Amino acid sequence: MANKGDLLLEMKDVKKRFGGAIALRGTNLSVRAGEIHALLGENGAGKSTMLKILAGVHEHDAGTITFGGAPFISGSPQASIDQGIAVIYQEPSLFLDLSLAENVFVGRQPKKGLAIDWKEAEAQARKLFNELGVELDPKRQARGLSIADQQVVEIAKALSMNASIILMDEPTAALSASEVERLMTVMRNLRAANKAVIFVSHRLDEVFAISDFITVMRDGATVSEKAISNTDLQTVIKEMVGRELTELFPKTDHPIGDVVLEVNDLTNPAYFRNVSFTVRKGEIVALAGLVGSGRSEIARSIFGVDSYETGSVKINNKPLKKNSPITAIAEKIALVPEDRRQQGLFMVAGVNRNISMESFDRLKGRIFLNFKKERALTNQWRENLSIKYADQSDPVDRLSGGNQQKTVLAKWLATDPDLLIVDEPTRGIDVGTKAEVHKLIDKAAGEGKAILMISSELPEVLGMADRIIVMREGRQVTELSRKEATQENVIAAATTGKKGI
Amino acid sequence: MASILKKRTFGREASLGIILIFCIASTGFINPRFVTGDGTRDLLSATAIVALLAIGMAPVMIMRHIDLSIASTVGFSAWLVADFCAKNPSFTWWQCFVIGGAVGIAVGVINGLLVAGLRLPSLVVTLGTLYIVRGGVYVVSNSVDYNAQEMPPSLLSLGQKTFAGLLPFPFLMVIILMVIVGWYMKYTKPGRDCYAIGSNPPAADLVGLKVFRRTFLAYIFCGFIAGVAGVFYLMRFAQVDSTAFYGQELAVVAAAVIGGIGLLGGAGTAVGVVIGALLVQTIQGALAALGVDAFWKAAINGFLLIVAIYADRVLARRTEKALLAQRIKERV
Amino acid sequence: MSEKNTFKVRKSWDTAILALLFSVWVLASFTTDNFLSSINVSQIFSNSSEILIMGFAMIFLIITGEIDLSIASILALSSAMLGWSYAAGAPIWLAILIAMAVGTACGFINGFLVTKLGLGSLAVTIGALALYRGIANGILGTNTINEFPDFWTSFGFDTFGKTFIPQTLPVIILFGLFFGLLLHNTAFGRRTLAIGQSPEAARFAGINVVRHKIIVFTFTGFMSGVAGVIYTFRFSTAQADNGIGLELLVISACLLGGVSIFGGVGTMWGLVAGVLLASSVESWLTLQEINAQWRTIVTGILLLISVAAPVMVDKYKRARATLANKA
Repeated sequence: MANKGDLLLEMKDVKKRFGGAIALRGTNLSVRAGEIHALLGENGAGKSTMLKILAGVHEHDAGTITFGGAPFISGSPQASIDQGIAVIYQEPSLFLDLSLAENVFVGRQPKKGLAIDWKEAEAQARKLFNELGVELDPKRQARGLSIADQQVVEIAKALSMNASIILMDEPTAALSASEVERLMTVMRNLRAANKAVIFVSHRLDEVFAISDFITVMRDGATVSEKAISNTDLQTVIKEMVGRELTELFPKTDHPIGDVVLEVNDLTNPAYFRNVSFTVRKGEIVALAGLVGSGRSEIARSIFGVDSYETGSVKINNKPLKKNSPITAIAEKIALVPEDRRQQGLFMVAGVNRNISMESFDRLKGRIFLNFKKERALTNQWRENLSIKYADQSDPVDRLSGGNQQKTVLAKWLATDPDLLIVDEPTRGIDVGTKAEVHKLIDKAAGEGKAILMISSELPEVLGMADRIIVMREGRQVTELSRKEATQENVIAAATTGKKGI
Repeated sequence: MASILKKRTFGREASLGIILIFCIASTGFINPRFVTGDGTRDLLSATAIVALLAIGMAPVMIMRHIDLSIASTVGFSAWLVADFCAKNPSFTWWQCFVIGGAVGIAVGVINGLLVAGLRLPSLVVTLGTLYIVRGGVYVVSNSVDYNAQEMPPSLLSLGQKTFAGLLPFPFLMVIILMVIVGWYMKYTKPGRDCYAIGSNPPAADLVGLKVFRRTFLAYIFCGFIAGVAGVFYLMRFAQVDSTAFYGQELAVVAAAVIGGIGLLGGAGTAVGVVIGALLVQTIQGALAALGVDAFWKAAINGFLLIVAIYADRVLARRTEKALLAQRIKERV
Repeated sequence: MSEKNTFKVRKSWDTAILALLFSVWVLASFTTDNFLSSINVSQIFSNSSEILIMGFAMIFLIITGEIDLSIASILALSSAMLGWSYAAGAPIWLAILIAMAVGTACGFINGFLVTKLGLGSLAVTIGALALYRGIANGILGTNTINEFPDFWTSFGFDTFGKTFIPQTLPVIILFGLFFGLLLHNTAFGRRTLAIGQSPEAARFAGINVVRHKIIVFTFTGFMSGVAGVIYTFRFSTAQADNGIGLELLVISACLLGGVSIFGGVGTMWGLVAGVLLASSVESWLTLQEINAQWRTIVTGILLLISVAAPVMVDKYKRARATLANKA
C-alpha cells in the first residue's frame, strides 16, 4: 500500500474531444495517497469527463496518465476497477432487484468450492457497513433505500474492492445536512486509511471544510492546483468563473398587486406538509431550502404534474383543479422545471418546435399549423431573449446550457402567463447567461407576472426575491422579507429549522 | 420492510403453487380423470416442451431481453432431425440430440450477435429471426412431412419411458435442467451477473460486468435448449411438418411471466417458470376437460399472458406503495 | 451525443431509402420483362393496401414509443366478424360497420391496457395478438366465408376500367392524406412526436399522454379494422388466419421508412417509401420466379436490416470520429 503523501495519480496534458466539441484541452491533475482532493469548476468545465476517463468509461485522445507508478490502462471500466479505482456516480447505480450484500460484491462474490458463499458475502458486507457506521441489513433488497444509504452501499463496494482511489461525483448534491456530516466522517476515515479521495462538489463550504487540495478547472483546462492552505473562497470562485463577479442580480422594484397564487395547507405526506403561502402580481417569492426539502415537489403539485393529498390551490381567486397541467396552463400558470434536459425540452426537436410547443392555438390556421407564424414566433423570442442558434430547426441538444434554458423560458413566456414558476432557473449555466436570466425574470415581474422561484443558490435567492419562504424536510420553517433575509438566517432556518438567530 | 420485499420474491413460487393445486383440484372435482395417474402423466408430458423452453429462456428474460424465435427454432430443429433420421436409418436417439442442439446453437449465435454485439432491441431482432428461421423451414422442407416410421425407434421409446410410474422421461429432463439452471443462477458469478445486468443495464457496464459475453451465451443457451426441445417435439408427436410448433413462443413467454420473471428483468427463478408452465398447461387442460372448444386455445393463451402481466404489475405497484408508506413513516 | 448523431443519420436515411427504392425499380425493370407493366404496378399497389392502411396509424404509435403487435390479429378478427355477421344475415353495410367497430374496440382495449393499467405495450400486444386471432378462430373455426356482394369484391379486387389504378387506391390516398396532415401539420402530430422524444417533458408541457396514447391505439385498431374489410373483399374470403404475420411487414416498413423504433422520429412519406420498397422487392422476387417460401425469409431480413442499419451507420461514424480525434 502506498504511503501517505506518495504521488498516486498524475494526469498530464490530457485531451478529449466528442465529435466537434472539445471537452478537455489539456488538463493536469496530481493526487497523493491519504489526500482528499476537490475538483472544482463550473458546469461544462470538464470535471465529469475527467472522472469518466479515470473510470474507464471514456478513453482520452492525448496526454499521459500515470497511476500507482505505472501507465494507466484506459478505456474499460473493468480495467479501472482492477487497477484500484472506484467511482461513485452522482446518481447511485445500484442493482435495485439485488440484495445489499450482492450489490457490494457484484462480479466479485466470495466463493466456497464452486458455489458463491452467500453467508460469507453477507458477513463481510455487514462488517463494511459497521465500519461505515450505518445499520443496514445486507440481506434486504436495494430497492427503496434512500439516496444517502445507496451511497453508503457504493462506498462499501469501493472499500471491498480495496480501491486505492475513490472518485465521487457530487456526492452531497442530494443529501440532507446530517447525511453530509456522516459522509464527511467516512471520507476522513478513508483518508486516515491512506486512500485518496477525489470529489466534485458545487458546495464550496463543504469543499473548504474537508479537502486538503483543490484543483480548479475551466473550459476543459486546469487553471490552478493549490493546497487548501494556499487559497481561499474568493480566489477559488475567481478562478472558476475566470473574472470578477459583477452585478448578478439586477432586481428592480415593482409595484406589487393582487394575490395571484394562493396555496392553502397543501400536504403530500411523502414530500411536504401544511404548506401555505401567496404570491402577488409583480412579486418574486423564493422557496429556499436544501435539496430534498420538498420545494420542487410543491411547485410540481401546483402545476399539476404531481398530486397532493389535502389542501387547496387558488389561482386568481379561483380554485385550481388538482393534478391537471392542462388546466394549470389554461389558467395561465407556467413551470420552468428543474431538469431542463429531461423535463423542459425535447432535445432532438428543433428550437422552433420547442418554443412553439405551448402556442399551437395561436399558430393555427383553420385546422393546420401555420409554419410561417411559427418562424415568426421563434424569431420574435430569439430577439427578446437573445437566444443564440445557427438555424431555427437545429435540435436544442446542440445549444449551450444557457441558450437551452432561454428556450424553455421563451416557450413559457410566449404563453404570457400570470404565474411563472421557475425551478433552479440558472442551474448549470455560465455566469454571463445567469445574469441575463435574472434580468428576464425581473422583467417578467415588472410586467405584472407573479413569480415563484426555487433555488439552491443563496445569493440568487437573496438577490432576486421580495419574500423568502424557507423549507426544511417538507415543512415551512419561516418567511423572511427581502430586508430581513441574510445569508446566515436563511441557512440557519434551512438546516436547523430555527427561525432567525 | 425487508419482510415485505422478501415476501414478494419468496411468495411468488409458493402462491403460484397454491393456485396450481387449486386449479388441479377443482378440475379434478368436475372431471376425475384429470387427477388420476394417466391424467398426471398427460399433464406432465404436455408441459415438458414449454417448461423446457421457459427454463432456456429464463436467463435471457432475466437480462431484460426476449427471444421470440424459439418456436421457429423448435420447428426447424424437429424437421431437420427427422430429415436426417429419414436419410440415415441407422441414427439413434443421441445423434438426434446432437443435431437438434447444433441447429439451436446456430440460431442462438445469430440472435446473440445481433442483440449482444450490435445492441439492437431484442424484440425486433428475434421477431426477425422468428420469420427467417420459419421461412428456412418452409424452404428446406418443401412441404415434405415425416411420420413415426421415419424416426429412430430408440428415440420414440425414450419418449414413452416413465419413471416412478408418474414421471415421463421428458419431464424428468425438465426437473434435472431446472435444478441445474436454478443452482447455476443462484450460486455462480455468471448466473448472478445475469440478474445484475437485467436489473440495471447501464450500471452493469459501469461495474465492468461482461455484458456482451453473458448476453451472447444466454442466447446460445436459449437456442440450444430450443434445438433440443425440437427433438422432444418428435418424441411426443412422432410426426413433423413445416408448421410444427408455430406460434408457441407466446405460451413460453406466458409461462415465464406467470412464473415470476418480470418483463423488466432482474428477477425470477427456474422453479418459478416450471410452475408457471404447469399452470398454463393445467388451465388449458382444465378448459378442455370442461369441454371448451380447442379453437379457443390461442385466445386463452393470449388472455392468460395479459392477466399474468397485469398481476406482475399489481404486485410491483404494491411493493412500491409499501416502500412509499415506509418513507412517509420515516419522515414523520 | 448519440441522440444527435442518430438524428443526423435519420435525415440521410430518408434520402437513402428513396435512392434504394429507385434502384430496385431500375434493376427490376432491367432484369424482368414486366416489372413496370401496368398489371404489375397495380399488383404492387394493391399488395401494399393493408400494409399502408395499418402503417398510416401504426407510425403514430411507434413514434410515441409504443408498439402494437396485434394489428394483423385485429385484421383477422374484423374480417371474421364481417364474414360471420354477413353470413348470419346482416346487410353488408352493417357487417362492414361491425367489422370496423370491432377493430376500433380492439385498439381501444390495447390502449387501455397499456396506458391505464401501465403494462408494457410489447408484452401486452403479444398477448392481444394471440387473444384476437384466437377469438377469430373461436368464431370461425376452420370455416371460410367467401360469398360477398359483387360490388364489394370488385371494389376490393378490380382496377378502374382499363387503367392500372386499383379501385381501393383513392381510399388509401385519402387515408394517407388525412394521417399525413395529422402528423405533420397539426398540434396533434406535434404532440405525438413530442411524447416519443421525451414522455417526461411531454407531461411537463401539459400533454395528456395517457389520453393521447389511447387515441393513437384506437386509431390503429380502427385502421386495422378497415384493413380487415379491404383484405376480406380483396381476396373474397373471411377466415381466421387472414393476414397472418402482417404486423411484421408493417413494422419493418415503418422502420425501413426511417421511423425510429425508440420513438420520436418519423415521416409519413418515409413510411410510404418503405412500404413501396418492401412490396417492390417482393414483386421482383415473384417475377424472378423465386419460390414464395422465400418471402418469409426476405421479410425477416428486411426487418433486421432496417433496425440494424441506422445503428451500424451510427457506430461507424462514431468510430471514425474517435480515430480522427486521436490523429
